[in-house]
Amino acid sequence: MISYAKIALSFVCHFTLLQHCFTKLWQSGHLFDEILHHRNQMKNTHYFFFCLFNLFFLQLSAQTRVFKDTLNGSSEEVVVTANRSERKMGNVAVPTSLINKSSISKTGSLQLQNILSEQTGIVIVNSALGTSLNGYPNPFGQGVQMLGLDPAYTAILLDGEPLVGRNAGILKLGRIATGNIKQVEIVKGPSSSLYGSEAMAGVINILTEMPIKETLGLQLHNASNNTWGGTINYSNKYNKTGVQLFLNRLSSNGYDLDPTVYGKTVDPSREWNGHLKITQEIGNKLQLLVSLRNYDARQDNNYQIFYQSLPAIVSGYTSEKDQSAFAQLKYLVSANSKIYFRGFYDKYSNESFVNLDKNGLRFDETSFVQSVLKPEVQFEKNRAGKSQYVAGFGANFEMIDASRYAGKQQLTTGYAFTQKEWYLMQQKLTLIAGARLDKRNDYALHLSPRIAVAYKPNSQWKFTASAGLGFKAPDFRHMYLNFNNAQIGYSLLGTSILWPELQKMQQQGLLQTGADISAYANSQELKPETSIGVHLGAKYTSNHLVVEWGIFRDDIKNLIDVYSLPFGRSNGLPIYSYQNINSVFTEGAEMDLKYRLTKHWSISGGYQFLLAKDKQVLQNIDQGLLYKRDPVTLQSSLVTRQDYFGLANRSKNTANFKILYEDNQNGWDTYFRAVYRGQFGFMDKNGNNIIDNPIEMTPGYWMLNVAASKSIGQAIRIQVGAENLLDYTNAIQLPNIPGRTFFININCNINQPTKHKSNRL
Amino acid sequence: MNNRFSLIAAVALVVLFTACSKTDNAPVVVPAYSSTQTLTVNFSTAKPFAFFGFKDSSLVVNTDSASAKWDFGLRFTNFVVNSNASGPGAAGVIMQDGVFASLTSAPTTGYAYDTTSTKLAIKDGSWYDYNPLSHAFVPKAGKVFFFRTADGTHYAKMQLLAVDYLPFTGPTPLQLAYKFQYVYQPSGGASF
Repeated sequence: MISYAKIALSFVCHFTLLQHCFTKLWQSGHLFDEILHHRNQMKNTHYFFFCLFNLFFLQLSAQTRVFKDTLNGSSEEVVVTANRSERKMGNVAVPTSLINKSSISKTGSLQLQNILSEQTGIVIVNSALGTSLNGYPNPFGQGVQMLGLDPAYTAILLDGEPLVGRNAGILKLGRIATGNIKQVEIVKGPSSSLYGSEAMAGVINILTEMPIKETLGLQLHNASNNTWGGTINYSNKYNKTGVQLFLNRLSSNGYDLDPTVYGKTVDPSREWNGHLKITQEIGNKLQLLVSLRNYDARQDNNYQIFYQSLPAIVSGYTSEKDQSAFAQLKYLVSANSKIYFRGFYDKYSNESFVNLDKNGLRFDETSFVQSVLKPEVQFEKNRAGKSQYVAGFGANFEMIDASRYAGKQQLTTGYAFTQKEWYLMQQKLTLIAGARLDKRNDYALHLSPRIAVAYKPNSQWKFTASAGLGFKAPDFRHMYLNFNNAQIGYSLLGTSILWPELQKMQQQGLLQTGADISAYANSQELKPETSIGVHLGAKYTSNHLVVEWGIFRDDIKNLIDVYSLPFGRSNGLPIYSYQNINSVFTEGAEMDLKYRLTKHWSISGGYQFLLAKDKQVLQNIDQGLLYKRDPVTLQSSLVTRQDYFGLANRSKNTANFKILYEDNQNGWDTYFRAVYRGQFGFMDKNGNNIIDNPIEMTPGYWMLNVAASKSIGQAIRIQVGAENLLDYTNAIQLPNIPGRTFFININCNINQPTKHKSNRL
Repeated sequence: MNNRFSLIAAVALVVLFTACSKTDNAPVVVPAYSSTQTLTVNFSTAKPFAFFGFKDSSLVVNTDSASAKWDFGLRFTNFVVNSNASGPGAAGVIMQDGVFASLTSAPTTGYAYDTTSTKLAIKDGSWYDYNPLSHAFVPKAGKVFFFRTADGTHYAKMQLLAVDYLPFTGPTPLQLAYKFQYVYQPSGGASF
């Protein structure tokens, strides 16, 4: 007991010391000033750290127990996203996490967003543009918030290639089926040095199965809300040719969280997902990969509107299509160098309409088509044990044609990247330096560098530090959106069309009389949003324990936001456009732990503490310029730093906790997950446009999910489970969360033992 | 109503008293007149303004728009003061940041007028935040309006407390309730 206490004490001292060093390092960033500032909120963190340290010593004291099994996230697993080429997890210097097929299948979930939401530091959030409209879900959907940045700042890649078709910055994750995912790789922190714009917060790369020896997998899925899913997975290799075919159909009746509002909260839908991959070896040096994907979804639209000032019902549907084609030629130049030629094409379309039920007249229709064509060449050279080099160049040809945009628009970006990785001090030290140049037709050259270092004093510890510049070029909506809200009457105009549209509106008498539009003749061009991100991490790996600590800070400049023009439309309603206004920072600490208790039981947990604030707001508070209104007395007073919670939609505390039971001999497994999202700002209510009062917050909530499966014989596996066990719902603020649902999956795998092949967590 | 009348009576008494005591040359503190009112305002720029006069603490009927009975008017988000382009009075307004209770004296110069119907003293959008998605319409905290009243000789300070949509059926609201608090100095002095 005494020695245990001693070790614990020494560790706490170490941690304090570490904290001290970081404080010194970060004086300019005020990370710990801020964290100390929020000591109250940190209490939980300290407690959490304390618990984790306890666990850590528990395992030190039990070193005699040895398990052969490796844990998820072990250093031997291979990842590709962090360096754009294959690396073992143990050698990666930038913060990377991995979700493998085994843990995806143990959750039984068919929703990628549910799988991602169970990862530490990833929060699935609604669009920042607000939430539900009249009891219907936010039309912009939900996306991934990473390091406290909005979904628009995380690149979503499928097999390494970026999907297009974001709506208000959000890529609908439902477009990606989960049934053929091999692994999901998550890289946190500015990754623009390899992936360019959109990778400012990080990258999520969804890698699908590659052809393997003959297997056939079938799955039948049934869940609450009359949800049915069917999946076929077929894979085979004939000599030098490999085939992988995936087909999935999913349909659901949707659900209704508020029966007092006409229509369902989420309308019925059905979707098809198909993916065909063919690999061909040509001689010894050439490998060809062709990948074709088709997503086809249709969702009903049925809701109440006002027609000639009277309530009326409209109905119709939205059809979405996402088609992509990818071809890659890999040429092995020599034993240690290779070159890739890649071509990727993705086209996303969304067509939506509603007709008035009573007379069949078209009430509203929208269409949206976006595509990208992306040729690329990449070169890799590996000097075993000494260095690895990767470089490449390519171009993005993007096109958008949408009813809410001013005609068909095109953007072309050329880019080149280079990165070198050195292994020094008997491979204990890894150094990475890389940079990428992007040149979009309408912008000056942009450089995004990144450096990273990893130090491995022994096989168990790894310390990492990385820093990079990220950027996000203004996207189509910032430049070309031409949206006039028919029901409300306001306008939102992109910067590139602002001047011509204002002129047109003035000529048509649609502007407030006397409006002076001359100031917009030379429309202020938007600058790219830029960020500087730093991450420090430590990782401990043993046979049955993996612990990771990290702290991060991101400073973002020139954030693009909506502002209202000083004059309005003739109907008195405002006209909005975009400008670079905000400078914000996000910073925090995270911790992740995986621990195998016994042969059958494993637990894991993660926690993230996050602060995300607007620098201008802090400055205004310090200068006594920002007021708040008391919700009861309605009197105004000055806002203090303590009042300011931070940017809306960000939770200070998020956590997850998982318990896995596996019995491979008898083919049983049970996987329980609890995900907590702490309270977050929803909308200003006290007259200062910031989140500084509890009435402006959405309370924190838990999602508890469980799944259990049993293998029967060689081929059959039956899985049952429930999601959102606590039946948490919030019809107004989080309508995308259905209540409690139950599911059953019946899996049949032929020519492949259904016994769990790995014991990974 | 009773309260209001008794208040007005009290104010009248005070005014009378002040008038008498002036001859004595003794400094007499005139209690300022404070009240919280709700003004029902049309949610349409095509409909008439709702006018308010501080002196009588009352809504002024729209037919009196050409009089000096009112000091400011509201319609949707348009804010007018009674002078120049908006009315025959001599009212002016200054919008200032601060805590209402702590701002105890009105500026004596620097009042702005509605120069034209589109160049108003209080610019649309300067005193509220509107969320086009939720339609939440919130007056900014810490905005205090100082008025020189329509007779050109009195001062008042005012702050908006809340703006609510009145219950409605149909696609758009019809009326807004502007709740505001003000202090009027009947003595003609600039302190409250």
